[in-house]
Amino acid sequence: MIGSTIGPGRSLDPERRSLERVVSRALKIGTYAAMVLIVAGVVRLLADGRSPLDVAPTLDPGTLVGDVLALRPSGLLWLGVILVLATPPLRVATALVGYLRAGEREMAIVAVLILAVIALGVIAGIAGS
Amino acid sequence: MLAAALASIRLTDARFRRANADVEIGLLLVGGGIATGLFGSLLGLGGGVLLVPLLTLGFDLPVREAVGVSLVCVIITSAASATVFLDRGVANLRLGMVLELFTAIGALIGGLIAFLLDERFLAGLFALLLAYTAVTMLRPRGPATEDPPADAPAGGDDGAADSRPAGAWTRVGRAMAGRNTAGHSDRIRRPIPGAIGGVGGGVTSALLGVGGGLIMVPIMHVVMGIPLRVSTATSNLMIGVTASTSAIVYLLRGGIDPYATGPAAVGVFVGAAIGSRIVHRVHTRLLRLLFAAVLAYTAVLMVQRALVIP
Repeated sequence: MIGSTIGPGRSLDPERRSLERVVSRALKIGTYAAMVLIVAGVVRLLADGRSPLDVAPTLDPGTLVGDVLALRPSGLLWLGVILVLATPPLRVATALVGYLRAGEREMAIVAVLILAVIALGVIAGIAGS
Repeated sequence: MLAAALASIRLTDARFRRANADVEIGLLLVGGGIATGLFGSLLGLGGGVLLVPLLTLGFDLPVREAVGVSLVCVIITSAASATVFLDRGVANLRLGMVLELFTAIGALIGGLIAFLLDERFLAGLFALLLAYTAVTMLRPRGPATEDPPADAPAGGDDGAADSRPAGAWTRVGRAMAGRNTAGHSDRIRRPIPGAIGGVGGGVTSALLGVGGGLIMVPIMHVVMGIPLRVSTATSNLMIGVTASTSAIVYLLRGGIDPYATGPAAVGVFVGAAIGSRIVHRVHTRLLRLLFAAVLAYTAVLMVQRALVIP
């Protein structure tokens, strides 16, 4: 049973604070980059006179880069959404590297298992599409 | 020739009006997103509880599509606030990661089930969530740093567990307990009920497009004995992985429309940012009472939707 504790007044582990700051930075970068793409996509969408309630083109990885470079709303918005979805797994991967460096085997295994569940989601999504 | 010119003018006029209407819809979506992000932040709710009814009842989106949009929005808002909680050392990254393993499993299951369920069933389920949320709005809120309730079930709560042979759970528990918030001990109790609750929170999040904090905060605070402030911050951190696991399934199965998602996401992001800056200056008691009524009324509308969708 889990019952361990750290009492008040004990100093915080600087290595752990450092990892949390790195993880926080990964979240910030991913979120703000995604928001820039999404805002640009919304501006283009409305400037093109398209309704947000219209059905968007389906995601096509083959044309995504071209659509983004051409500043098409669908490309900008799809890449923004993908980046939003990729940011939390990126945060877990960042933490995994930190745990491996710190030699925290149990937490590294937890991080690998989380990534494995997300990978299962990708496989299940592709299989059902 | 004159008739052709008039027809051309009418056509141009019609196109102009349609373009204006499209811009209006886009701005309404952004405005709706701002309102849900703002009030969600002020009331301590994830945006999903307010956003899904707005999209289904206000913009007539199918429930599943609204859930897909909402999942993307809750990832954005949770990531933005999680960075603040991590920087301040309030969120417990280790506890969050262990629990989000189970919420992610639940989200994967929920993401797969969601495509098998009828729209009416989802609308009915959402009505139940709204009613539950309305009841929680009426409950008085304790101080943000309160200790675990005195009657919280104890399991290895007296330090004796530390003297036992260190099993895998105990080692993970020690690792999780290593972060604490000012003046508090992050003593972790009952990990197995917590993990089971995490799976339930993940399924709920995936089916209804919410962050799952309404389930995970009570589980962490009441069942696992984590201080409320740490539970809230850690739950917020977990939302990203939980929601992205199911959102990936939604995305790959065509359940996310980027055109509807974009304006809503921009609005929710802006609204949540404003809310987090003014929350300390706003008296939320009256607001909570008002929203309890709004949520109860919205629950009735969702029940109606559950009954009328063909």
